[in-house]
Amino acid sequence: MRSHLLLPVDLRDAFVQSGFEEAPPGHPTVAACPTGQPDWSSTLDGLTAVYRVAKDAAIAGSSVVFIVSADAVLGRSGPLDAMAATGVVSASRTLAAEMRKQGVPVNCLAAAADTPGTTLAVWAKRLLEGGPTDPTGELIQLGGVQIGKALS
Amino acid sequence: MRTAIVTGAARGIGKEIAVRMARDFDHLVVVDLSPTLADTALELERLATVTPVQADLTTEEGIAAVTSSVDSVAALVNNAGITRDARLVNMEEEDFRAVLDVNLGAPFRLAYGLAGKWARPAAIVNIASRAYLGNFGQFNYSMSKGGVVGLSRALAIGLAPQVRANAVAPGLTATEMVETIPSDVLSRMIEAIPLGRMGEPSEIADVVAWLCSPESSYVTGQVIVVGGGRSLT
Repeated sequence: MRSHLLLPVDLRDAFVQSGFEEAPPGHPTVAACPTGQPDWSSTLDGLTAVYRVAKDAAIAGSSVVFIVSADAVLGRSGPLDAMAATGVVSASRTLAAEMRKQGVPVNCLAAAADTPGTTLAVWAKRLLEGGPTDPTGELIQLGGVQIGKALS
Repeated sequence: MRTAIVTGAARGIGKEIAVRMARDFDHLVVVDLSPTLADTALELERLATVTPVQADLTTEEGIAAVTSSVDSVAALVNNAGITRDARLVNMEEEDFRAVLDVNLGAPFRLAYGLAGKWARPAAIVNIASRAYLGNFGQFNYSMSKGGVVGLSRALAIGLAPQVRANAVAPGLTATEMVETIPSDVLSRMIEAIPLGRMGEPSEIADVVAWLCSPESSYVTGQVIVVGGGRSLT
């Protein structure tokens, strides 16, 4: 599958092993939320990178999958990671609303710390290939970290 | 003396929060970029001791101006925010970054800039928005407000048990910002609200005050949507 990948190196390797090929902007897009940034300035730069690839995808009318950390969504891995992760979840819903009339899906995957990259790739592929009646604007949690915890 | 800090206090929801907080706190530090803050401070002075701080919270100097104005803080309400709406396809990077920096970066820097000054107990309330659930034309704003929810969760974990942290997510509220919405659009927005009307700033302020009070002493890390049920329709 040819996709535009904004991924850290280890995840990129896993996606390539799962049959993803790097493509220029405008193709179905997989974007990972920035993590482990040392300060707000770096976090803002990471979120700006997400904005850029999301905008390219929106202009091209391409499907998008964002990847965030399930622990970060719950606020369990520090403030900067939490801010970035929950921010990306909210932005994915907004982009889903903006692309809904075109029937283009936009979703978010929340990965547990032990979720294999290849599992993420399988789910990303499934969501990127979705049509007008498939899930959009969803936060899909992998690994069950969220069970019994705060949702949304 | 119990001190509360309210940012974005010159007008709208922030001003109403400051008025409401004056009932429960002896000293209010009201913060805003706008020079009209001085007028708001004058109004508040009949209710409590007031320290106005005109500051840009996206700068280190602005954060320092606020943190240096207090010795101990019992409540922080991060309310200051801006909008620069556009569909993502038309959104400029400058507008994306500006909204994130004001709405998300400033609450983070202020909350952590107050380290060592928290009273026992203390409370933080971050003003999010119903847009954190997603809202057409607000990629930047919804990301910033979603981020505020995550910040609240991280603060709730990181600063417990001394400090509680929660978020309030207002829906459509009758402020000056609403006056810019065309009347036909506004009517449709109100029709989608189960309670059939806009919220009043005082209704947001009451929830904020409750979250800063001992009555909510077992509530932390939560987000409360105050939107007349609009998040259901």
